[in-house]
Amino acid sequence: MLEVEHLAKSFGPIKALRDVSLSLAAGHVRAVCGENGAGKSTLMRLLMGVSRPDAGSIKLDGKSVSIGNPQEAQRLGIALVAQELSLAPDLSILDNIWLGNRTVPLFHRRKEFRRRAAAALALLGVDFGLDTRVSRLTMGQRQIVEIARLLVREARVLILDEPTATLSDVEIERMMAVLRTLRAQGKGILYVTHRLSEVFKICDSVTVLRNGADVGSATIDQIDRERLIALMLGRSFSDMYPAVVATGTADQGLEITDLEVSGHVQAFSLFAPRGRITCIAGQVGAGASAVTRAIAGLVPGATGTVVLDGRPLPLGSLGQRVRRNVTFISEDRATEGIFDRNVLENLVASRVQDHARCGLISWLSLRRFANRLCGEVAIDAQRLGAQAFDLSGGNQQKLLFARALGGQTPGVILINEPTRGVDVGARAEIYRLLREFCERGYVLLMTSSDLEEVVGISDVVVTLYRGKIVSTYQHSRIDMAHILADITHPIGAKAA
Amino acid sequence: MSNHGHGGKPGPTALASDTSARERAGAIPVPMLARLLSPEFRPFLIFIVALGGLTLVDGGEGRILSSVTAFSTLQYFSTFGLVALGLGLTMVIGEFDLSVSGVFGLGGCVAVLYGNESIWLGIACALGVGIAFGMAQGFIVTRFGIGSVPVTLGGLLTANGLAYVVTQNRTVSFDNIDLALLLNESIATFFSIRSLVAIAFFVISIFVFFSTRIGRDLTATGSNRRAALVSGVGVGRIIVCSFAFSATMSALGGALLSFSLASASPAGLADVLVPAIIASILGGISLAGGMGNPLGLAAGVVTLSLLRSGLNALAAPPYANDVASALILFAVAIADAPYLLRRFTAATAWLHRN
Amino acid sequence: MVGVSSSAARTLWLRLKAPSRLLVVRVAIMLALAALALATPSFLSAPSLTTLLTTISFVGCLAIAMTFVTIGGNVMSFALGATAAVSAMVFVVVLNTAGYASGVAAALVAGAVITGLQGCLIGFLRANPIIVSIAASVLIYGVAQRVTSNETVHVSETLIQSLLKGKLFGAPIEFIVFLGLTAFGQAVLSFTTFGRNLFYIGSGFRAAEAVGLPTVRTTILAYVWAGLFAGVTGVLLASRYNQANMEFALRYDYDAIAAVLVGGIAIQGGSGSMLRTFAGVAAVSTIQIVLLLHGFREEWRLFITGLIVLAVVVLYSKRQRQ
Repeated sequence: MLEVEHLAKSFGPIKALRDVSLSLAAGHVRAVCGENGAGKSTLMRLLMGVSRPDAGSIKLDGKSVSIGNPQEAQRLGIALVAQELSLAPDLSILDNIWLGNRTVPLFHRRKEFRRRAAAALALLGVDFGLDTRVSRLTMGQRQIVEIARLLVREARVLILDEPTATLSDVEIERMMAVLRTLRAQGKGILYVTHRLSEVFKICDSVTVLRNGADVGSATIDQIDRERLIALMLGRSFSDMYPAVVATGTADQGLEITDLEVSGHVQAFSLFAPRGRITCIAGQVGAGASAVTRAIAGLVPGATGTVVLDGRPLPLGSLGQRVRRNVTFISEDRATEGIFDRNVLENLVASRVQDHARCGLISWLSLRRFANRLCGEVAIDAQRLGAQAFDLSGGNQQKLLFARALGGQTPGVILINEPTRGVDVGARAEIYRLLREFCERGYVLLMTSSDLEEVVGISDVVVTLYRGKIVSTYQHSRIDMAHILADITHPIGAKAA
Repeated sequence: MSNHGHGGKPGPTALASDTSARERAGAIPVPMLARLLSPEFRPFLIFIVALGGLTLVDGGEGRILSSVTAFSTLQYFSTFGLVALGLGLTMVIGEFDLSVSGVFGLGGCVAVLYGNESIWLGIACALGVGIAFGMAQGFIVTRFGIGSVPVTLGGLLTANGLAYVVTQNRTVSFDNIDLALLLNESIATFFSIRSLVAIAFFVISIFVFFSTRIGRDLTATGSNRRAALVSGVGVGRIIVCSFAFSATMSALGGALLSFSLASASPAGLADVLVPAIIASILGGISLAGGMGNPLGLAAGVVTLSLLRSGLNALAAPPYANDVASALILFAVAIADAPYLLRRFTAATAWLHRN
Repeated sequence: MVGVSSSAARTLWLRLKAPSRLLVVRVAIMLALAALALATPSFLSAPSLTTLLTTISFVGCLAIAMTFVTIGGNVMSFALGATAAVSAMVFVVVLNTAGYASGVAAALVAGAVITGLQGCLIGFLRANPIIVSIAASVLIYGVAQRVTSNETVHVSETLIQSLLKGKLFGAPIEFIVFLGLTAFGQAVLSFTTFGRNLFYIGSGFRAAEAVGLPTVRTTILAYVWAGLFAGVTGVLLASRYNQANMEFALRYDYDAIAAVLVGGIAIQGGSGSMLRTFAGVAAVSTIQIVLLLHGFREEWRLFITGLIVLAVVVLYSKRQRQ
């Protein structure tokens, strides 16, 4: 049905796509895998008409097509469910399904449209009230509404971009069921992801992109996990994780008792020792990120006791947090991490008052401090004057780590999803940084939904399912299969 | 009560919102009280509270629940109601038309200047000026992607200046006194031509908003502009038309007021921006966009007008109106403040411990 | 050879990155303005220059006050003009009873408290800053009407000479104060932790919370500073006219925010400087005076000023597109 042949696209000097070919038949689900920067987004932009290819062709039903703009893509039946959904939260489900649809007349409150919207939702196996405001739906439910909208537009080719990134396990199961329904309906689906378990669960074939070219296509039965990873990375992943060096001071640390965030986490108790990487593993929605945010004081209404090195740390007191050198690094760098200012100001953001007397700053001192930080986290000091948002994802993350330095005593780093939006090359650097902080005696409490990362880097793993701790694994007993089992469907709690 | 920040919206992953998985989204029970306090019904609730409060203060002397008060309420309604309708619309799509008072004054001046020849010419010119102004501002906002506050600030200063230019810096008088009186003459006890015109525009707007897809597209533009654009809604067209509508309504309102007062002054005859903003907020329209409709807005305008005429009827001193409006606005600002709940809970928790 | 130099210039232009290009454009505009001003007959003559400098000082001081609000991400305040008027009245009343120093102190305190209270609502509850400032301005005018019954307070005869008047170093005293406030305000922005924090919360509020910056305290302080500077404006006005009433500084807020925008400060906050505000005030005023001296009547000046604000907003705001 859809054929892409030797597609190429450059943005200025950057060759985003060099030579990509793939085919998609009706009633078929093809995974498109690749690391960040491999060209997945560019491929989607070309198919959606946001950009035009420099070379190569796109064929639909054997006929060559030129997709000039998103409206044309819509007319040709190509549709995209992006990571950022295109729903208006203040409108009802019914209105969102028909939003922007050309076939809807001026007087749009007709029974026929209600019927067809309900039918689309029924096809997807759900039964939402059509007049419910979308703002009251969960992420997974909103995705279904978005797919329903594409269905009523008679989309034939559906491109799904990381559809399960923010879903809970139940919602992931439902998404799989929805995809099976769509496949049975004869739709062609391009499933763009790097979650390999899903690739093997739902897809019929997979194409791997690396550095802008497709480096291999295969049907699912022809390939296995290790080969897939090898294709994506071009090397084996075990190179990424630095060797663990056991350090002392493991009796002091962060003691969490009975942490409770209503709706997210209950009765959470944990001891995160200094000099060790403690990871809370859980799927998105399990509540892991709520723990770190609560300790960081960003969750009003969290209750529980937190004691650091024997002295209590009150929840919600930002001042205490700063004084005790507790740094929080959010998974959402763009809004909760980086300021729209230059690199220097971003680096020193948490320590400005340390370089000031009576409220007056010494810029000389700040600049020296910033230079030192650059050296410690391997950021080029020449870039101190550049806008922080111009840095790469990896460098931005290193910048956020640098904020944890400079305190009097080694402190605590609370970090969610340490390598989100960081490409393969920089990931190794981040992991190395994590180890370095350990060696300096920091407490590292991280959360991650990337199991390979969890297994590769942690000293202690705590598995979380629906807000409750399932098990704790000490270093030697960390095992991916057990952890996966815990966070997807645990059978009673166990201690390892 | 929805949780808007300064123009940002909490998404589905924000910890404050409900993210537990639910299969049947329609089956969430909403307690009756929460329903009443929700932004849809709040304008009417506020109206009832205002009416009740005034009647209480009246102490049974029948000054509030009288036809005189009703008439003067509708007269105030017609003075700034159209402006509120236009401004409110720009707020629903997530923009803000700061220029309304300038265009209001300009419309009045143009209407009177040309109205001395023929009333319809005067009105046509005022409308033309409004449309031109609005489209220009809307075009600049869309084409250059600039925020509406700076653009409409420039528009305000330009419109104001233009009013001075066309009147050559003097007050112009309208010769058709008969028309002036006719416009304010009471019809069926409560109405006048001016208020009927304003009411008519509201009725049309309410009809268009709720039964055509225009209402949906407007809300979508304010609720999530990128989503609306990507879905195929003509966002650029909507923005330009909203600003054009806002300016046209302001110009028309100014024209009608000037006709009825038989004069126009470039310094402006009435401050309409502040009442229009207050009425919009009371009417359930949020500054962040995506919320509100002409029906609630009408309630907001009526409430503010009632307050004004009611305080007059009670022979309250002139500043009482300002103070009352300000207090209501503070109350709404506090009620809608995103951090209100968490500060309140933290405060009660602290009191508990001590 | 013309051909060679124009292509060299073109290459140089293309080599410059966007921010540097913008700087070149700005400098060019300022130079053009200066040239236009100097080319205007009688621009440099003492009376017109004095008028210019005096007039811009009042709006200028208020614009400096407004800048604190804008940089912190709170867009603008509609209440600063009213606050200046109240401060002026407080100054005169206290001056008449307790002397000059007390008068100034009282005016500053009045300004700081009135605006600081708004800052508390905005900083602590995160209430919408525009609505709070509108409500405050309406309340101020309402309460003032009750308290003063629209009367004017006059400085008692004997104290008039204690007021700051006349010239210092050849420029009107009001202008010197304006320069001083600009420098002082800029120092606060550049060299205090408060100033840094203001830029942080303006450019990324949630990031500031995540880092643990004192957002509440910084917001309140920003408004207190704005109120202090509005108080100074009130003192200046009262000193100039030997009296005070609530008609002072009416609509100054619009002129102030226009100056801030013309100076190139982003309306969404997180960047800017007092120097930019000063440039904005200077640019707008220069244009107005030049128009006056070229014989344009007052009504044309208002109109053309509005057009220029629009044009500048379009020019400068291009890079702030999302």
